[in-house]
Amino acid sequence: LTTGGDPRRASLDGAVLEWMREPSWRRDDARFEELALRAFSFQFEHCAPYRRFCQGRSRSPANVEHWLDIPAVPTGAFKEVPLHSFPAERCVRRFRTSGTATAVRGVLHLDTLALYEASALPTFRRHVFPDLGRGERAILRILAPSAGEADDSSLSHMFSLLVAALGADGSGFDVTGGSLQADALFARIEDCCSQDLPVSLCGTSFAFVHLTDELERRGVRYRLPVGSRVMECGGFKGRSREMPRTRLYARIEDALGVPIEMMVNQYGMTELGSQFYDSVLVDPESLRRKLGPPWSRAVIVDSETGQLAADGAVGTVVVFDLANTGSVLAVQTADLGRTVLDGFDVLGRQPGAEERGCSIAVDAMLATTRP
Amino acid sequence: MSDAAISERLADMAKSGVALQRRPAAATWDTLAAVFDCFADEDSDERRDLTAELPGATGFSEPVVREGLRLGLADWNGDRFRELIARELGPSDREVHGFATTAVFLAGSIPMPTMLSLAAPLALRSPVLAKLAARDPVTGPHFIRAVCSRDPELGSCVDFSRFARDDRERVAALLRADCVVASGSDETIAAIAAQLRGPRRFVPYGHRLSVAVIAGDALRGDRIQTAAQRLALDIALWDQLGCLSPIVAYVVDPGTAAADRFAEELAAAMAAIEGRLPRGEVSLAAKNAIAHERASAEMRAAGGARVAVHAPSATSWSVVREDSTALREAPLHRFVRILPAGDAAELLDAMSPLGPHLSAVGVAGVDPERSPLAEAFAQLGATRVCPLGRMQCPPIAWRHDGRFVIEPLARFTDFESEA
Repeated sequence: LTTGGDPRRASLDGAVLEWMREPSWRRDDARFEELALRAFSFQFEHCAPYRRFCQGRSRSPANVEHWLDIPAVPTGAFKEVPLHSFPAERCVRRFRTSGTATAVRGVLHLDTLALYEASALPTFRRHVFPDLGRGERAILRILAPSAGEADDSSLSHMFSLLVAALGADGSGFDVTGGSLQADALFARIEDCCSQDLPVSLCGTSFAFVHLTDELERRGVRYRLPVGSRVMECGGFKGRSREMPRTRLYARIEDALGVPIEMMVNQYGMTELGSQFYDSVLVDPESLRRKLGPPWSRAVIVDSETGQLAADGAVGTVVVFDLANTGSVLAVQTADLGRTVLDGFDVLGRQPGAEERGCSIAVDAMLATTRP
Repeated sequence: MSDAAISERLADMAKSGVALQRRPAAATWDTLAAVFDCFADEDSDERRDLTAELPGATGFSEPVVREGLRLGLADWNGDRFRELIARELGPSDREVHGFATTAVFLAGSIPMPTMLSLAAPLALRSPVLAKLAARDPVTGPHFIRAVCSRDPELGSCVDFSRFARDDRERVAALLRADCVVASGSDETIAAIAAQLRGPRRFVPYGHRLSVAVIAGDALRGDRIQTAAQRLALDIALWDQLGCLSPIVAYVVDPGTAAADRFAEELAAAMAAIEGRLPRGEVSLAAKNAIAHERASAEMRAAGGARVAVHAPSATSWSVVREDSTALREAPLHRFVRILPAGDAAELLDAMSPLGPHLSAVGVAGVDPERSPLAEAFAQLGATRVCPLGRMQCPPIAWRHDGRFVIEPLARFTDFESEA
């Protein structure tokens, strides 16, 4: 570990890593509570802006007794101030949020990638490849640039990690130079189809829009071999074309022949070390919902009061992620969601845009006026 | 109304419009003037009914509706409407004509623009079929009923329909009108424009926003409190949801204390006005956005920036004192940022990105009629510079989006003699 040489941090990271490396996942409330409070105490002490933020809310390790009471910073804060709990000179990687409509990009500062990687890999495998046997690999085609091409993208880093750890021969990246390499991708897909080899496509939602557009333009439809699947992530913010997820999935099913029950949405963000995935493959008999690893908890809070929302009520998604030991573990997202069984559903940000009438959203305006 | 019914209604209205165009324009203007008179009269049945129904339909609180209509319609009477017509159309109705039919896509939830959007084509004797705004399904029908009760012939030339803005079939049917007036987001306007087929008049009103500027003497002594109270009214009316609602207030002063004090005064004024004019219903998405922006501001403050958040625990109002003129998200619903500018040059530089979308600039400490700064706002793109406290009371003849109200919907004919 390169955790700044701080023994408390090293001990904390060690305990979290130990949990991440355990083969069986088990919800352990006491363990989560203990580690979350330790992480909060450490971050309160070592991240001055976060400490002042907490003090502004009259919270400190002295009066926070439950992980739910740990103050959550909004994702927007990662654009405003450097939120790291280690000396700046120890930073080894900075992941930046995607270039959305606003110019300023959020930054996650990391002094180690160990927790990020230790969290990402088993979580992906469990939710996207629960049927993959020990030592088995799968053909992964990635509709995103590789980490080599986008070294500040946490998504690209994760995909590179996944390809290295789980990718079989024929795996690789199909976006280079900012463009989908459609000819090469379709040739790979045709190879897989001719050999009846399942192929899994992973990428951003927008990349799948682009892919299905291209197939439609060419008048081509594929029927990917049984066992093929789709993992899509991210939204459309700042893009020229948005599409409801149900419609996107219908288009993918039509274009690639992958059934909707083999499509998994990942809910993640640069500011978090862990990700959440649709339950559709790991628990196909039950309601589709987002599930994450036991070292990360998502809760829904009342947007007005900040208190936990009633079961099933819509509220703000707040994530407590032990993979974030180097930054801040409690993050208030900009998304609305609701609890579903033991997971949650993400509803997005602005379902009520019509109420704005002719009053422009500032970010939309800035997007149109910036060169 | 189905798409077929919309097409049929437009065709019927075009026939009714032929009779309308044969009668003197003055008769139509008399009816419309009488309708405006009745809505301007707080004791009229029409005004009372509208006041009673708007809160339930739009989500605004009853006091906000009552006060918003009182201030907004105070000078929107028949005489002012006639003056508007005279100014824009001139003395002779021989030279000016409306289109055979006009379609109006309404937006937002503020009643005055809806009334004027319906009256403008009718003033040209052009039958009008309106798509009601999702957030205000009552003002249009009330206005139309008031027309029908006074002038059935004119009433046969105005109607409304309700459907979702992404209902392509119904939108396409309505776009068969000869003149199309559309209000809404730039995205909505672009979607409508993309569906237009064939030559027809298109009058779009897209995204707009407004700001406040407090400078000079308005920041001294008791006047700062007055300015804050007036701004609070401009924000509270219609819950900051109109394009005339200020989303930011620039405090122009070389020192930093003025912005601090103005933010405190505005917070006090917002708290006070919440008791008198409580905010109405707010979506979860809006609450979420407010909570997020408040927390982000707290984080900036924690990071050492001169930022302060003044707000109650509920999301009913928020005043955020920022440390720069940088523009940030505006969640609306009574969320305002105070942006400090050291001098006029910094202010104008900060406002320049707003130019293409700028509607009103509400001012205190700046003379709207004589100040060079007010002229500079106009150069930037502002279409209205007015005192604080008057932002939600535009005159009926205000040239929204910088152009006339009725004239863009008209066809003019010049008759030339041999001499």
